[in-house]
Amino acid sequence: MSIIKIHNLHKAYDQDEVLKGINLEIKQGEILSIIGSSGSGKSTLLRCINYLEIPTSGEILFHNENFFTSPKNIQILRSRVGMVFQSFNLFENKNVIDNLILAPLKILKKNKEDLRKKALETLDMVGMKDFAMKMPKTLSGGQKQRVAIARALMMNPEVILFDEPTSALDPEMVGEVLDTIKSLAKTGITMIIVTHEMSFAKELSHRVIFMNEGIVYEEGSPNEIFQSPKLPRTKEFLKRFIN
Amino acid sequence: MLKVFKKVITFAILFGIIITVIPRSNALDNTEIQTDDPIIIDAIENIKFYSSFNYQTLTADRLNRITQDFYLPANYGDVQITYTIDSKYLSLSQEKETISLRQGTDYVDQEVFKVSVKTLPNVLVGEVVFSIHASLSYNNNIDYHTFQGQVIPVIPDDFLGGSLYTLVRYGKMFLEGALLTIGISLLGTIIGFILALLLATGKIIKTTELDNKFQKTLKIFMNKLSSIYITIFRGTPMIVQASFFWYGFGLFGDPLLCGLFVVSLNTAAYIAEIIRGGVESIDKGQSEAAYALGLNYTQSLLFIIFPQAIKNSMPAIGNEFVINIKDTAVLSVIGIFELFNQATKITGIHYRQLEAYAIVALIYLFLTYSTTSILKLVEKRMGMKPLELTSSN
Repeated sequence: MSIIKIHNLHKAYDQDEVLKGINLEIKQGEILSIIGSSGSGKSTLLRCINYLEIPTSGEILFHNENFFTSPKNIQILRSRVGMVFQSFNLFENKNVIDNLILAPLKILKKNKEDLRKKALETLDMVGMKDFAMKMPKTLSGGQKQRVAIARALMMNPEVILFDEPTSALDPEMVGEVLDTIKSLAKTGITMIIVTHEMSFAKELSHRVIFMNEGIVYEEGSPNEIFQSPKLPRTKEFLKRFIN
Repeated sequence: MLKVFKKVITFAILFGIIITVIPRSNALDNTEIQTDDPIIIDAIENIKFYSSFNYQTLTADRLNRITQDFYLPANYGDVQITYTIDSKYLSLSQEKETISLRQGTDYVDQEVFKVSVKTLPNVLVGEVVFSIHASLSYNNNIDYHTFQGQVIPVIPDDFLGGSLYTLVRYGKMFLEGALLTIGISLLGTIIGFILALLLATGKIIKTTELDNKFQKTLKIFMNKLSSIYITIFRGTPMIVQASFFWYGFGLFGDPLLCGLFVVSLNTAAYIAEIIRGGVESIDKGQSEAAYALGLNYTQSLLFIIFPQAIKNSMPAIGNEFVINIKDTAVLSVIGIFELFNQATKITGIHYRQLEAYAIVALIYLFLTYSTTSILKLVEKRMGMKPLELTSSN
């Protein structure tokens, strides 16, 4: 059963067309990796799914329903689709635990004490329980990203979008974040990951799509894409990463 | 940090000492008359004294600013009067003199006793009350009455002495002015800040594709309104704004409230621009993260963007307060007796401008310097980058 259906999605900034008709279907519980060179539109595609970028044309269905009808509906969609950013984007004016409970407190209107309890559990899951009272600026990049993942989880999302979650990290911190995402994968949540970590994508994904110049250029299972890519651009792109 | 506090406190204590030693002027009571002879009552009520300066008339209730010799009349009509004075500042001659007073076009002779000023009290002593005991005789009827007066220190001719005199004698007026200046500036900044939040919101609000027609119109209207407001208030001098609202409309019927209103409105325009800059300097990722969690525009602004923008703008907003301390001086134009206007008033008493304005300059410097120091300290404590004092509006 598909959770997200993207139909003929176009996105243009003025004359510059970034997405040139994307058709994509994501199944419940699927882990989809999106790879491709910079400027191929993979981040834009991801950001269109929760309308951080407004599509120029086309349709995105979530549970077969279009939420792009009113600001209220967009908020509902966003509260059901989590997102993890490349640059973490923790709220700088709030400590770790307040970062986690702000959205559920204001949107789901839950009890604050229950939320704190849940936040501590979630932080424990990403190994950040001891940092609950710290301010974001005192954390390392890897720690920030793990908190950001915990923050997304607090809304009980059905899908999590990862927008290059490890690209802004020092190499020694990439591992801790990838481990967190891997442990998350075991819970069966639907994930769409834009990444440059090829081995990670290969190991974790159920399906990989390669984007090139605003279209889905090639798609297949991790084995198909990484072992035997069929199309020339994919071959060229992956050659660089494999060696 | 301790050094700053020390400096500020030392200044404050010095200022405080000077203010507290100021002599207070006593209310003179020349009203109580203890006789029932109508002729004597008439004499007491209408008796005139004469200054040695052009024989100017001093009524009994104008004896409170004695700085030079004066004359006591030996008679009022048929009432004969003799006097005694006990004061170490004055001496009364027992010899009668005759002075000729001008009455219309004629001169009239008047017999008088001369009171010489032996010495004047210095400024630290201030006003000294003296009593003139008069015995009034008429038809073998003798009555007594006491007139009260004050000898006052005069302003020394040199700058240093004059400054000390001005500071000590009118310190209370300076203090009142300084307190009013701080009060208006602080309140104006606070009210301006609150207004600025609304203005800044109006200025940064953006229409989105999903807004309905009403929302779009409203947002554009708010945008335009904020822009116009900010342009007008930043583009006109505060002295003009103050005159416009007070002399033009007599707003609130009280220059003080009107002045506060003008300062608040003016400050709001400046702080709105500061906050708008603060909002724009916040990383776009902050609001995106808020939206991605399902928060709406208002919530993201309220809980994420404004707290950060305001924290970043705090040094500039504090600066605006310091600028207000200086700029409220223009409110003197609508008759608010803040610090500068008090000084102007003082210059009118002795016609000595230099001393009063020098003191007022020092007080302004003290106020701005100590406020800046305190703000810097607070900003340092809160981990913000302090700003240097910039231009005034």
